[in-house]
Amino acid sequence: MQHVKPGWWSIDSPGLGQQYWDTGWFALFFTFIFMAFIVVNIKRAQGSKELFIRRIPGLNAIDEAVGRATEMGKPILMVPGLSDPVNAIAVQAINICAYVTKTAAKFSNPILMCAYSASMYTLAQEVIRDVYQQEGVPERFDPDSVRFISDRQFAFAAGVSGIIHREQTAAAFFLGEFYAESLIFAETANSIGAIQVASSTEATQTPFFIAACDYVLIGDEFYAASAYLTREPVLVGSLIGQDWSKVFAITCILCGAVSQSMFSCSHARGVEAAVQASSGNADAKKKNLADLKESETHSFVFSKLFKTNDPPEDLKIDRQPNAAAAPAAATNAPGGSN
Amino acid sequence: MKTKGIPKYIVYLLLVICASIPLFFTIPVPGKPFDSSADTFKTLMALQPGDTVLLASDWTGSTRGESKAQMISVMRLLMRKQVKFALWSTADPQSPRCAQDTISEVNEMIKKEGGKPYVRWDDWVQCGFYPSSDVAINNVATDVRKAFGGKRDTDTAGKLRPVFESPVLEKIQKIEDFKLVIDMTASKTSDYHVQFISGKKVPLLFSVTGVMVPETNVYYNSGQIVGYLGGLKGVFDMEKMMEYGLNVPDKDGKIQVASEKVPDKIEGFPGKDNIGNGTKYYPTLHSALLLMIVLVVIGNVEMFKANKAAKKS
Amino acid sequence: MVFLLSKAPTQARKPIVWILTFVSGGVFVLFKYWPQPINFDKAKNLPNGPIESVGSLLNDLTSVFGTISQVLTAFMLGLGIFSILRIHGTRIAKQQKDWFFSVVLLVTMFSMVVFGYWDFHIRAANRTIDYDNAANWGFVNMGRDFLFEGLLQQMDAAMFSIIAFFILSAAYRAFRARSVEATIMLGTALLVIISLMGAVASGWDSAVDRIATGSNHDLLVNLKISEIANWITKTLQTPAITGIKFGIGLGTLSMALRIWLGLERGGK
Repeated sequence: MQHVKPGWWSIDSPGLGQQYWDTGWFALFFTFIFMAFIVVNIKRAQGSKELFIRRIPGLNAIDEAVGRATEMGKPILMVPGLSDPVNAIAVQAINICAYVTKTAAKFSNPILMCAYSASMYTLAQEVIRDVYQQEGVPERFDPDSVRFISDRQFAFAAGVSGIIHREQTAAAFFLGEFYAESLIFAETANSIGAIQVASSTEATQTPFFIAACDYVLIGDEFYAASAYLTREPVLVGSLIGQDWSKVFAITCILCGAVSQSMFSCSHARGVEAAVQASSGNADAKKKNLADLKESETHSFVFSKLFKTNDPPEDLKIDRQPNAAAAPAAATNAPGGSN
Repeated sequence: MKTKGIPKYIVYLLLVICASIPLFFTIPVPGKPFDSSADTFKTLMALQPGDTVLLASDWTGSTRGESKAQMISVMRLLMRKQVKFALWSTADPQSPRCAQDTISEVNEMIKKEGGKPYVRWDDWVQCGFYPSSDVAINNVATDVRKAFGGKRDTDTAGKLRPVFESPVLEKIQKIEDFKLVIDMTASKTSDYHVQFISGKKVPLLFSVTGVMVPETNVYYNSGQIVGYLGGLKGVFDMEKMMEYGLNVPDKDGKIQVASEKVPDKIEGFPGKDNIGNGTKYYPTLHSALLLMIVLVVIGNVEMFKANKAAKKS
Repeated sequence: MVFLLSKAPTQARKPIVWILTFVSGGVFVLFKYWPQPINFDKAKNLPNGPIESVGSLLNDLTSVFGTISQVLTAFMLGLGIFSILRIHGTRIAKQQKDWFFSVVLLVTMFSMVVFGYWDFHIRAANRTIDYDNAANWGFVNMGRDFLFEGLLQQMDAAMFSIIAFFILSAAYRAFRARSVEATIMLGTALLVIISLMGAVASGWDSAVDRIATGSNHDLLVNLKISEIANWITKTLQTPAITGIKFGIGLGTLSMALRIWLGLERGGK
């Protein structure tokens, strides 16, 4: 039985930490590298270095959509996804909506923003009000333009579809987390001839938007949008950081593929040698293959870095008993509702 | 109202006809189970009487065509095998009610076939609804006793007691003590389960709607989940495997349901009522998909004709 | 905390909010990286040394912050209800266009709240009665069942089923072989759709089995629709979705990092 003192700062220590067994220490290191890339590039961008971002056609369509709505004198609809509560995706969606609002405010174009969650409604209202104030036209802000519809998915879908039909919106922006209702929105807006720009962080909904909308931001283009639109150093820097992270991930994938191929070749050769060495003796063959397996457990393969492991079964961690905490333990926790 | 060629209302009318007519007939449809369905069946059948499963029910009435049928098939199996389960939800406040209604329905089916009905508290407990799926699932993965610690359920005497006093959860100290974690979902909770629970040493199983299949395949292919039931096809596979078993030859020596991915011979529940909505709705799925193929072909023919005419002129 | 924040001067609010964000986010980041005690049961054992003590404390803190977030989310609903009341109340008071629908909305909203809580109260007060059996229901239970099962669930399902119609019309309109890429896309989509049709797929696979004999067997079995669909999903679809999800994940990480470090300026 292994008796260990927990919490040693050694990679090989079985007492290192539960999460290092759950996800593998390299996974945490991997995430840390991504964070470092993003922060470093934000600093680089803040150092007034001009960094390049490629053109995203879907974003050029924003001005076109707002222009068309202005010509038609009809409102612009914005739906910042179905995030509940507000998360990073919702904040990004509201950022893009803020840019749309800014453009709309310049042309005195009415806007409508439908919020799925109450927290989203609160945040959206603050941001949109701020945009009108920054543009110097606070009187044009209509508090009813930002609406909480419902936090039930299909009640929300019904509500937004109703608004699209009643208000005959000229342009529609669907940005953020969308699920099954994506096609309901897109087809409804399509049926009244509204120009649509959409993006879903849910990969399964992107095809629906592609089928029914005019412009779609795919995958991380959604996050690249605000950097592209505003050219703010912080946003541009973090976008470059994301690209560095992708290059790092691709390098890891290539290393993994090469390493795994080399291991497979060496394994095949090892098996062949083990079988030949046994000269037809079944017991010898079994022993040789077992030896090969044992020796392979010590050989380095890149993919092993990402593999999770169980703490050794005989691991015993010495701890003092805690008699005092026992009675309270069952009742001091947060609970759910019925 | 026109979609270039065929008017929209004609398209919709055709769908109504194609989707409704097969419902009035019993049409036997052959079909090989998906690998993910076979793995799901294998995992569920490996459970032993008295094992405890953590069952997240994250679907509502909107997806009941798929989700409820999935839950019924899984519940039938769990109840027949006398596996205990702790139910909880994070996606929608409606979810616990939908799940409880389904459990009552399956209980009636089990009673009819002469099985032991499930008793709340003794055989299953309701651990309630928690808002903010990501936070709640993270809490359960980190410390299940703390996450459900404040939760009470009604015991068989009608008294409210902490869920960890129930026979279902009394031996559970951490998430790894469950024999299996299942998420029956129509929402993003599957992602959070992978994020927070797949790293733990407990097998993870999903049942998802048809549209979520491509995304769930990613987790299945990477080994982060042991299997999943995908949409109506998943239910159809499950019902067939429960009826005929997997890789089990019949009286004539013919294997009705075979899988190369799961070569094990696994007996089902022959002679019991295994067939449900999966088998009933599957022909409807066929006719609707066939209609879609026909319309896509018509659309393309129209386009080619229009292009040809434009070139001529 | 919220009360104190509302009393703070406007200029001080942003730093306070950022400090709160940084501290609560920091707890979760630290929790991920700080070694967590293995096989540790707080009820039975004391943490062994400072590293385990901090790990145990972080474990407790994540639950606390998680619960605060859940409670705040639940209370936010009040603001949402206020928005609905203001917009639809004004519409009814001023008898604006379609004001009757606003009346329907408010009446159904209040009915659901009243019957929902009343039913909950009755069930909580009579725990020995089996309310799964409809024979034990009274007026209130029936009212809740009518509103929840009879109306809400059915309308939810109806809205969801509308998607089937939209999928069909969108497929008919958009699935056109306009270019080489679109044709490849159309072809793969049709193959995957056919593979979902068990009857057609079985016939196709049996036909391939009949043809695939002799030395060509191993090559020809790859033409089974189940094999083709499997290859498409595993070799093309899964990596594509993984790539998209990875990009989105990185974007989310980057946004979360900016919010945590106070670099995100939200809509400006």
